[in-house]
Order: sequence, then C-alpha cells, then structure tokens
Amino acid sequence: MDLVAGRSFAQERRPIKHVDWVLLATTATLVIVGMFLLYSATNQTLRQDGLDPFQRVKRQIFVVVLGLVLVVVIAAFDYRFFKVYAGFFFAGSMILMAILLIPGVSSPTGAYIDIPGANLLQISPPEFLKIGVLVVAAAICSELRTAAPEPRDVVRILIVAGSSVTVLLVNVEIGSAIVIVAIAVGVLVVAGTRWRHLGALAVASIVLIALAFQLNVIEDYQLERISAFLDPENAAESVRYNLEQSLIAVGSGGVLGTGYLSGTQTNLDYVPEQHTDFIFTVAGEEFGFVGAMVVLALFALLLWRAIRIAYLSKDPFGTYVAAAIASMFAIQMFVNVGMVLGIMPITGIPLPFLSYGGSAMLTNFIAIGMLQSIHMRRFT
Amino acid sequence: MERSSARLRALAVLVALMFVALTTRLWFLQVLEGPAFRSSARENSVRFEYLEPLRGLVYDRNGVAIVENRTSLQVRVTRDELGPDAEHVVLRLAEVLEMDVADLARAIDTKQYFTFQAVPVAGFVDVDVALYIGEHAELFPGVDVQQASVRAYPFKALAAHSLGYVGLITEDDLDRADPRDYGPNDVIGRAGIETVYESSLRGVRGRQKFIVNADGETIRELARIEATPGDDLHLALDARWQRIAEQELGIGMGIARNLEDSKGEPLRATGGVVVILDPATGAIRSMASLPSYDPRWYVRGLTQDQANFLRNDDLAPAVSRATGISYTPGSTLKSVTALIADQALDDVDLQGSYPCVTSYVHGTDTVHPFRNWEPVSGRSISFADALRMSCDTFFYRFGSEFYQYYLDHQLSPNAQPLQAALRAWGFEAPTGIDLPAEATGLVPDAPWASEHPELFENGEWLPFGDILTMTGAGNIRVTPLQLAVAYGAIANGGRLCRPYLVERITDADGVLVKDPNARCSQRLPYPGEDLSYVRHALAEVVTGGTAACAFSGFPTSAVPVAGKTGTAERGSDRFQDTSWFAAMVGPVDEPDYVIVTMVEQGGFGAQVAAPITRAIIEGIEGLGETTRPGCSGQSTQDR
Repeated sequence: MDLVAGRSFAQERRPIKHVDWVLLATTATLVIVGMFLLYSATNQTLRQDGLDPFQRVKRQIFVVVLGLVLVVVIAAFDYRFFKVYAGFFFAGSMILMAILLIPGVSSPTGAYIDIPGANLLQISPPEFLKIGVLVVAAAICSELRTAAPEPRDVVRILIVAGSSVTVLLVNVEIGSAIVIVAIAVGVLVVAGTRWRHLGALAVASIVLIALAFQLNVIEDYQLERISAFLDPENAAESVRYNLEQSLIAVGSGGVLGTGYLSGTQTNLDYVPEQHTDFIFTVAGEEFGFVGAMVVLALFALLLWRAIRIAYLSKDPFGTYVAAAIASMFAIQMFVNVGMVLGIMPITGIPLPFLSYGGSAMLTNFIAIGMLQSIHMRRFT
Repeated sequence: MERSSARLRALAVLVALMFVALTTRLWFLQVLEGPAFRSSARENSVRFEYLEPLRGLVYDRNGVAIVENRTSLQVRVTRDELGPDAEHVVLRLAEVLEMDVADLARAIDTKQYFTFQAVPVAGFVDVDVALYIGEHAELFPGVDVQQASVRAYPFKALAAHSLGYVGLITEDDLDRADPRDYGPNDVIGRAGIETVYESSLRGVRGRQKFIVNADGETIRELARIEATPGDDLHLALDARWQRIAEQELGIGMGIARNLEDSKGEPLRATGGVVVILDPATGAIRSMASLPSYDPRWYVRGLTQDQANFLRNDDLAPAVSRATGISYTPGSTLKSVTALIADQALDDVDLQGSYPCVTSYVHGTDTVHPFRNWEPVSGRSISFADALRMSCDTFFYRFGSEFYQYYLDHQLSPNAQPLQAALRAWGFEAPTGIDLPAEATGLVPDAPWASEHPELFENGEWLPFGDILTMTGAGNIRVTPLQLAVAYGAIANGGRLCRPYLVERITDADGVLVKDPNARCSQRLPYPGEDLSYVRHALAEVVTGGTAACAFSGFPTSAVPVAGKTGTAERGSDRFQDTSWFAAMVGPVDEPDYVIVTMVEQGGFGAQVAAPITRAIIEGIEGLGETTRPGCSGQSTQDR
C-alpha cells in the first residue's frame, strides 16, 4: 500500500473527494439564471390571469429540488451500474413510450403521461428514452473485442437508435429524435468508428430522411416549420410570426439589453412558447449580447467539463457515456439557440436547464449525476 | 483509448464551431441589427388609436340647430379575433342582427381595414341586440359594439341642397387625405356646406397611444390627446323661411300641374327654385330646390330605391337648381337690360318714351319680324310702362342698336357693350356662394356665335343675338341665384354681393373663428336714381302690371312688393316655358329681401311663379291667406 503524506492512495481516491465542483457550480448557475428568465417570461401573463406570478418559478424549483436529489443518488452509485442494466433502462423507456400510445393514459396533447393524483408532474417518456439510448449505445461500444466498432456493432447501435427514432417520429417528437441521433453519432464517433463507415451512415440517413418526407411520416406542421426556416417569405403566418417575434426580441436587446423585466417583447407576451422553447429570447432581449454570451459561456463551461470527464475516464463506458451526454447537451443547445436566432428550424427542442419543463429538467439532472459519478470514480 | 482521445478532440472542435456560429449570429442580430429590431419591438407593442372628433353643428340665423349629431350603436368585427370558429360567429351575428349572411360576410371581408382592425358592419343596432352581444361575449369573439356619432336632422329634409350630406369616405378621398386626418371609417362632407366647410366641421382627431400585449389587450395608456370638436356653422338661412319656401314651392308646382300650357297640355312643373336673399349683405335667407332628397337617407345608407331615385337624370333631385343649372331668364332680365340700354346707348334715356309695337322689324328684314307676345297699340310708352306690361318690342329696338354698335365697332376692344355689361352684373360667372358645383350660365356673344354655326349662320353674330338677349330670351342662361344677386344690386343701390350661406363660424366654445369678409364690394356703374326708377316701375308690375292678378288683394301698402314676371321659351317644343318671378319685398327704396321664384316647365310667370312668391311672402310676413278677389280685367296669361 502506497502512502502519500500519511494517507493511503485509496483514501485519496475515494469518490467523494473527486466531485467536479466546476460542473456543479456551472449547473447551479444555469439553473438560477433559468429561474430569473422564467420569472420574467411568465409573471406578467400569470398576473393578468389573476394567478401567483411566481407559480411557474415555484414549480420549477420543485423540479430542481427533485433533480438535485437525483444527482446525489446517481452520483453516489457507481455509474457502471447503468452498464449492467443498460438493456433494462432502454427497454423501460421504450415501454414508457408505448404507454404514450394507449389512449386515456396520455395527456390530451399526447406528449405526456399523466400520473394519477399528481398533476404537478407529468412524465414525458421521450426525455427518458434519451438516457436509455445513451447507456445502451455506450455499453455496446465499451464491450468491443476490436479496436474500433465493426459494421455489426454499428448496426446494433443503429437498431437501438433507429427503433427509438421511429417510435419518436410516430409520436411526432422530431426534436427528441434529433437528440437521439446526435447521441448515437456522438458515441459512434468517440468509440472510433471508421470515418468511411460514418460517411456511409450519413448517406444512408439522408436517403432515409428523403424517404420520410416522401412517405409523409413527418407531420404537416413540422414540414411547415422546416420550410418556414428554409423559405421564410412564403411560410405560414403563425410559423413566421414565431420566428419574427423571436428575432425581434433577441435583436432589440442590443449590446446591453433592455434591463431585467423591461423587455417589451417578453413582458407583453409577444414571443410564443417563451418560457419553454424560446426562453433564450428573454436573455437576449433583457440582457443583450452580453447576457446571451454569458449564457453561452455557461454552456461552453458545461460542455468542456463533460468532454473533459470523457477524456479523464479510464473506463471506455465512462468515456462514451460522458461523450454522449456532451453530444446531447451540445445538440440541444445548438438547435434551440439556433432556432431562436433563426439559423435552425423550429423543432421543439428545449434548452437544457433553462427551459420550463419537468421531465427534460430531470433528464438533464440525471445526466449531470452520471457525469459526476464518472468523474468521481475516474481512478477506479 | 488513443483513438478516443483524438475523437474527443474532434467532438470538442465540433462543439467549438457551434459556439462560433451562435456567437456570430448573436453579434449580427444584437450588435449590428440591434437598432432596427429595437424599433420593430416598439412598433409591436405601442399602438395608436385615433379619437374621432365630434363634427361641428349647423345653426340657422336664429340659433336653431338644423344639423346635429346623435349616437348610433355600431357593431364592429375584428377578423383577427374571430377565432377558429369564425364561420359560426358570423352566422350567429347575422342572426341577431337580422342581416343576410352573405351581406354580413361581404361587409366583413373588406380591403379598407387591416385584419387586426375593427370593421363596422352594422349601425343603428337596437340596444337589446347590443346588450345581447355584450352579455354573450363568448359566443361573439372579435365582435364589439361601439357608440358612433352620426348626423341628425331635426328639420328632416329641410334645405337638403344647401346642407348637403356626409358619407363614408371613399377610397380615393382616403388616398388623397393625410392619414393623420382621416381613417377608413370616417365620414366626409359629400355635398352642400358639409363638403365646402369640411375642414371646419371636421375637427381634429385626437390620438391615444397605448401599450398592447400580443393579444391586443391594452396594458396601459402612454399618452392621450383629446380630439378637438369641429367648428359650428351659423347660417344666414332662416329655417322658418326655408320651410315656407319649400312648402309653397311644392304646393305651387302641384297647382301648376293642374294648369294647361298654350297647347292645352298640362304643365309638367318638373322642378322649381326659390331663392331669398338679403340685398344689403348677400345673405341667403332661404334656398329651395325641388325635387329634392333627404340627407337622412345617407345616414343609414341608401336603399336601392333611394339610389335609383337620386340617379334619375330626368329628375336630377341631387342637383340644386338654384345654383347648379342655368335657365333662360325671360322678361325678368328686362330690369337689368333697361338699365344697360340707358347707360350704354347714347340715344336712350330711362326717362324717355319709345314705341311698343306688335311686330318689330330689324332694319329692312321684314321676312324675320320680332313679334310682341300680345297685340299692342304701337304708341310710345315709358320704360316703366314697358316693364309693367313687359313689352318685348320696346326692348328689341335697343337690341338692334346694340347690334348696330357691334357692326360699327367690331374691331374695338369693347365691341359688345351689352354682353360686357351683363357680365358686370355677374352673369356667366360663379356668384361665389359657399356651395359646390355652381353653374355659370351663358351670355351669348360673337365668339360664342362663332362656335355655334348651327344657331348663327357661318358662325357670324346676328341681330337676333342682341335683340333676344335684351328680353332675356334666346340663348342667354342664368342661374336663379345669379338673378337674385342681380335683383339684390337693383335693390341695394348698385352693389353686387357675393351670396353666402354661412354667416360665421364658431368653435365648440362659441368663440368666433371666422367672420364674413366684405361681401358687397363690387359697385355697378348705375346712378341711384336710375335703380330707384326701375324699383318703382317694378312696384307697378305688382299693383297694375303683369303680376297684378297674382297679387290681387295683397296688402301692398303694408308689405310693398316690386317684381318682374318672366316666361322663357326653352327653344324646343319638348319643353314647356320656364315660369319666373323676381321680386323685392319691403320699402321700395330699401327692400328687405329679394325673392326669385322659378318653375321649370311651369308656363307663364304670372300664372305660376308669381302666385308662389305671393304665398311665400304671406307666410314670411305672417299675413295668413290674404283675400284674392277675381281679376277678370287682367289676362291671367300675363308674362
């Protein structure tokens, strides 16, 4: 047993000593910023309806507290636990997706499972499916006999990701489908899949997407949103309105912003879905370029930590899980902010830690918990 | 794991590229384009709404309101707020408004309004209906009821041609108008003083600036400038006189239709005019024109029948015959031409005597004699008698002389002194009254003849041009108002007045905004005693001349009347003669008012226009129906 300054190496490497405080602080800051943005986006409307202006903020705090518990619990366990039960996680989240299809169980919009007696929380299965795919893909890649995934391994991952994407598209969840694809690609890339295999995959995907359009798998309104992005002049009124109002909100923020709670676009409810998908417009309008850059910097910090954890992990599973999580956060941030800024189509992807919503927030916290667990156990 | 590290770097680079893309875009949107978006944001939430001013009122000379405002409950539809169930909302609305669905849909689907603006679809809605819509707001999203101000006419159709009417602004008017002054829902004066004094009556729109949320709900008011009501018009018109004039004209025209013309056909009496004017100022005390319309029709919008009636060109009810159409004046012009002959012809003197013959021959042209309207003795008579009996041949002689003067002086600048003098009396020019669309009439002269070779052989000025003009016959045309102004000059000692309806304009607080200018500044070159001579001669027309029968039993000693009858042929067998009477009422040397009565296709002036004038004077002076002893001694067909 090596002794370092009177303490054992084992002692030094105890997981509790290796919490990634930067990651925690970044997450906490994002969550707190999110609360402020959420209040700004919702207080006026709630007040007008005679409701408590803090109503949504309070709900979000409840979710965050629940999320922090999840972080602690997951971080306390060895993340390799996920590898062992990866199949179960994936199967479980697919079952949740299937429940969505049962009439009467899901909410009227069909995107949530209502939990009887607890209307505070609705479960959105697509969010948990992300974790399911993530762990399965990482598990498959970490058990390779070869240096890089062979075509059959790629196919196994494709089956997992493809079945998930199909189920999501059936449920009209194009945003989550994109995230799943990003996760799978992230794992495949980091696992060392040959570039030519990845290239073939890209070509196949393009063909599939074209087919999907051809076979009307994609709903009209989604097509509309995408075509609005590609051809704003001829877009349907409501879709163009979303985009226009969003751009006006962000653009009118200027360099320093209009000041907290002083954004007219925000306070007068001009931006639709502002507390969920368009939360970034609040930062853009009220805190300007400087504020928007601070938010982006927080995400940069978060992603740096995630990639760093992937790098530090001695265990391939840890590396792939962390890389997949980095992919997941990166694609969500990029597509969401890009959509708000008009350089990405409107697809309904929430902004991690900032958008209002229960299941998505919990999923993000699960991911943070997993990152922490990997970081804490990077020596064992 | 070597490979993983490399691949992780690739992932990091990819993520870094994402940040570069987002940052670049943010820089563009917020720093470069920020100011433009900022103004868009302002436009987004700050709304202006105009506050409509109350239109100015119109009072008669005694301060009685003759045009007022009242409120109408107006149902408006905002298309953007109809919601997904728009069709049912429209169906329900059509039902409660008892409107045809197609009509309602057409009213809603207008290009004059943006879809976020409220379109008025029905006015004069019952209070019950308005309450029902208000209480069932959930059934009528996007529908609201507003109070709108509309014109009201306490005297109904009185003085329609003078007052005019207002109507919804046309797209053309809207394009021309300053958008700050008029909106698509505004009314604008479309005829009469409503249009001439539009800028005074209109007032100034107020503006309300407020912040709205994305649903269009008002969050708070930022600024408010109240509307300034329009200025009030105080007319010279006397509502009582106007009513008497309209009533008696209508009755007289009805009586005329029971009379026969020289061919034994009933008189058609297709139109009539009464103009009453204060000779001292040019103030219009009354101006009636029949057939007429009712300005109240325009308040609710014309029905098909009303529109057809107004469009009927034969009736031309929308045209004021007092100012908008010119007529051959007939013998009423002799009062003027007598003065002109005296003044312009060296050998003619108002005190002299000239022959009144049955048939007048110009020069040696015995083929075309000018006959008097009735056989006469042929002896020489005074101007007074010539006017009293309305002898045509007496005046033809002077026409011949004017023609001779023209032959002798064709190349001089004043080749046609008769025409020049008539123009000095205001003929062939607008009187300048404050009404739109004035006709100018016609004083035929040599240049005019050259343009009308169908009347004047080779386009040359011929003797009959001057000869007929002397008696107000032939091609001369005057509006009844021009004739009234000319008689006003005879009455007031030779000053030509610009007639007017609006005496003064005050703002809503009663403060004088505009005073009349000098209105009788133009002096005619006739000595006062000559004008007095003519007035006294005209007084004899009533007591012992062509109008004696029409005024038999009338208390001329209490209410002196001096006047001249006129019966004008219209140069076509299709039309019956125009019946005229031009009179001055009050002391002969200082008449109180001039009254000109004209009935289109009304036959003899003495038979139709003069009795109408008498009845109006009786009404105005409060004489009641004076006794009318028979007058068999006089011809009822006096000119």
